[in-house]
Amino acid sequence: MFMRNKSRISALIVVITIGLVLSMTGCSGGNTPSSEKVLTIGVVGPESGGSAQLGQGQHNAIQLAVDEINEQKLAGEWKLVAVFEDDEGNPTKSSSATNKLIQESKANIIIAAINSSATLADMVVTERAGIPQITPGSTGASITEQGNEWIFRTAANDSFQADALVKHAKEELGITKIATFTSADDYGQSGANLLKAAAEKYGLELVANPTYNNGDKDFKPQLMSIKDGGAEGVFLWGLYTEAALISNQVQQLGLDVQLFGASGMAAQKLIELGGDAAQGLILTQTFLPDADIPEVQEFVQKYTEKYDMDPIPHGAQAYDTVYIIANAVKNTDSSNPEELRDALRNTEGLNLVTGSPKFDEKGNDIGKRLLITEIRGDKFELIKAIEAK
Amino acid sequence: MIRYILNGLPIGAIYALVALSYSFIYAASGVLNWSQGDMVMLGAYIGFTVYQILNLGFVPAFFISMLAVAIVGIGIQRFILRPLRKSNAPAINVTIATLGASIIIRNLALMIWGPDAQLFPFPVSNKPISMGSLSITPQDILIVLIGILLMIIFQYFLKKSKEGKALRAVAQDRYAAVLMGIDTEQSDRSAFGLSAAIGAVAGILIAPIFFVTFNMGAGIGLKGFVSAVVGGLGSVPGSIAGGFFIGIVESVAGGKISSGYRDAITYTLLILVLWLRPTGLFLKKRKQKV
Amino acid sequence: MNKNKKIYLLIILVLLLTLPLFVSNLYYLHIINLVGIYTLVTIGLNILSGYTGQTSMGQAGFFAVGTYVTSLMMMNFDLPFFLALLIGVILTSIFGLIISIPAMKLSGPYLVLATVGFGEIVRLVLLNWTPVTKGAAGLTGIPFPEIFGLQIKTEKQFYYFIIIFVILGIYIAGRIAKSKIGRTFSAIREDDLAAEAMGVNVAGYKTAAFVISAMFAGLAGGLFGTFSGVTSPDSFTFDDSISFLCMSVIGGNKTIIGAVVGAFVLTVLSEALRVFQGTRLIIYGFILIFTVIYMPNGLVGIIENLKSKILMKKENKSME
Repeated sequence: MFMRNKSRISALIVVITIGLVLSMTGCSGGNTPSSEKVLTIGVVGPESGGSAQLGQGQHNAIQLAVDEINEQKLAGEWKLVAVFEDDEGNPTKSSSATNKLIQESKANIIIAAINSSATLADMVVTERAGIPQITPGSTGASITEQGNEWIFRTAANDSFQADALVKHAKEELGITKIATFTSADDYGQSGANLLKAAAEKYGLELVANPTYNNGDKDFKPQLMSIKDGGAEGVFLWGLYTEAALISNQVQQLGLDVQLFGASGMAAQKLIELGGDAAQGLILTQTFLPDADIPEVQEFVQKYTEKYDMDPIPHGAQAYDTVYIIANAVKNTDSSNPEELRDALRNTEGLNLVTGSPKFDEKGNDIGKRLLITEIRGDKFELIKAIEAK
Repeated sequence: MIRYILNGLPIGAIYALVALSYSFIYAASGVLNWSQGDMVMLGAYIGFTVYQILNLGFVPAFFISMLAVAIVGIGIQRFILRPLRKSNAPAINVTIATLGASIIIRNLALMIWGPDAQLFPFPVSNKPISMGSLSITPQDILIVLIGILLMIIFQYFLKKSKEGKALRAVAQDRYAAVLMGIDTEQSDRSAFGLSAAIGAVAGILIAPIFFVTFNMGAGIGLKGFVSAVVGGLGSVPGSIAGGFFIGIVESVAGGKISSGYRDAITYTLLILVLWLRPTGLFLKKRKQKV
Repeated sequence: MNKNKKIYLLIILVLLLTLPLFVSNLYYLHIINLVGIYTLVTIGLNILSGYTGQTSMGQAGFFAVGTYVTSLMMMNFDLPFFLALLIGVILTSIFGLIISIPAMKLSGPYLVLATVGFGEIVRLVLLNWTPVTKGAAGLTGIPFPEIFGLQIKTEKQFYYFIIIFVILGIYIAGRIAKSKIGRTFSAIREDDLAAEAMGVNVAGYKTAAFVISAMFAGLAGGLFGTFSGVTSPDSFTFDDSISFLCMSVIGGNKTIIGAVVGAFVLTVLSEALRVFQGTRLIIYGFILIFTVIYMPNGLVGIIENLKSKILMKKENKSME
């Protein structure tokens, strides 16, 4: 039943030789000539797997920003280079990809990742290596609660959104009973907690708080229980595919409720997929392609010119992130990770697509503007813009 | 309670179709095609392309999609199953190879159709018809009807046609069928092709309510397989009953017990069924083939 | 064991122990450490499938239990790593025992699906039992292990730490295979009815195989948690179970060394394919298909075949 010992040994030797050859070839990779100042940005995101649309949107926007900055020499003497790795939304693969970017591509700074669990895994790697990391996509609350001084977040601020939404529901629409219906991932779970806190703060009654798993298709059972609870407003916290399905099924069940949502589902696709049923949905976002803001218009025009499709909000945040990095490296004129980190922390005076970035001591971007919008016809219409304090 | 049961019917019909495609391949060829869920996805995408992009109409979309996906299924039989049978590889190798095919198909779809979900509406109304607290949409009714119609045609084909009879003979005893001069290669081919086509129909039926995404096959495929086993793998009526059963269980468990644990409840039930009645809930106990 | 083999073994051991001296790139060391952890999971699978003919497509479930229990013991009760690991492994083997109750009655697709179900149940519980498992965000700040006051925290230290467990795992698995239990396992794989007829307690042995395979996965999980520093349900999906099964089959599921080869080749392959970006997973799929068709007994099987061919040629020549 057992292989003879000898062949076992020969197999092992083969394995080790492969390993050694592999490691030798890796060490020889030289870097760019020293005459040019190059800052390498390592980017990790899910370019395949369930959140591929976010990863690919992020990829496109970052490449666009890098090309612009290099062309117009916006980073002083520095040339930016972006290297992309796919993590399939899997934390283990994400941390391997981050390791690769730092060790092999000699990334000076990391943009990672979309899925909160992947971002948390990457943070272990960047913290051990002492390399700054910015996440333009992960909103999970725990990310900036780790006491990790290397992490920055340019994603929308969820507690700000939950607060604004609940306040709007109460003060403008006179809603008193609400339900939350959130995805069972880090994004949805922290959203549910923030909404609950906001409901308590404004004195609204939370009558039901079911969840769903990503990839679910049938939401009617949960919606029926929401209906039984008598909620007037249902707050969704998740991605656009599920949100569109939910709004369809709300209509099919004949539920008479006002739907609310947050930036995670803000995409033109939500309107397209949701059709009739999505009309009137109110959601907060940081980026609106038709918003009458010069920075937004310029970005949308360039993006659609290059990729022949509309940018997604994650893309806008990633685009801004590159500009924040360019500003930091221009100011310190160094690729030293500690100096870069301190320069990031002192970011100010930029007017970008999603606001005027400014980081708090935990690394959250508190300079984002928040737009309360409503789906009317085939677009989001601005109800109110709240500038950051 | 009744409305939860009613709500489980359309998804149950789709699970039933997918379960049927698993059962059928297993009965006729003795192996499982783990890329069956991706046939559902491909069916939906091809239907979407023909109907929404090429504008060739809904009925042609149905048939073109079935045909195209059947060809993919036959391709899997030809380039994966056949060589594996020739080299006498263990059953687990078929599992790994078809999982490999699943990875390829899924990522090709991602390259071709992109990462965004696509809308694929049915040419019927999506507005609910209410009766008291119960409501159902014409679209749901159509899904259940087409599903049931297809199952009947399929059962008829197996019972009456020459190919169907040959397939059933192979399913009962592969070795005896070979002795009787039945071409098992041909029956493998029919099994893979037909199952893929059934998957494609499931894909088109599910598309208008659930949209089309490149990774929709994973979840539906697994649930279809669970339905087949719970109902009785290898049996047509068993698989159909299993599909509706799982559809209803999910709806009731999601609404009445816990939405987060819904799938966990389904799987616990599956393990219990396997433990207590390995031949499935809806079949008479029979001696399991060793 | 003759002298030659002892020398070979010694060389291998020296090579393994000095590996970090050649590999200065921490990324490679990180991947090799992952290979070590996956090797342990795959050994467990090989004991199950290679020796008793059972399959598990829910190994990520056991791996997850080991990771979470070990990490939680360290975080919530301040237990030292080895004690936490012990509890993790014991709990995982209890799970193995429970799942073996329905599993020993099943075979083929039924067994596969039951194990898939188990893996998914574990993942869903981890996702939804928020007060304990912290839900989707998962555990963060999992402490490093400590031996005699020395904290294991760099990739290099982890390399030595993990390699000791891997060598120990290979040794124990080898001892099991050579023992009476191992011989009975393979008798069951060849023909469980015959084994039963000969008075072998087939059910008992199948249960033992499940428990042993769960223990290996639990051990690997305990190492994985402290090595990663964070963990979440996203690391224990159905896809992860599939990739463990692929390691077992691609490497060769009838031998222990097959587990090492499978874990190494597939982990390194999926990293090496990164140069192909978007087409990477498609290529990966083709490689899987190609391997199981043309190397039905895994990579180790090919080496075996080649060797016996060479031996045959030699013999033919000497006969001429």
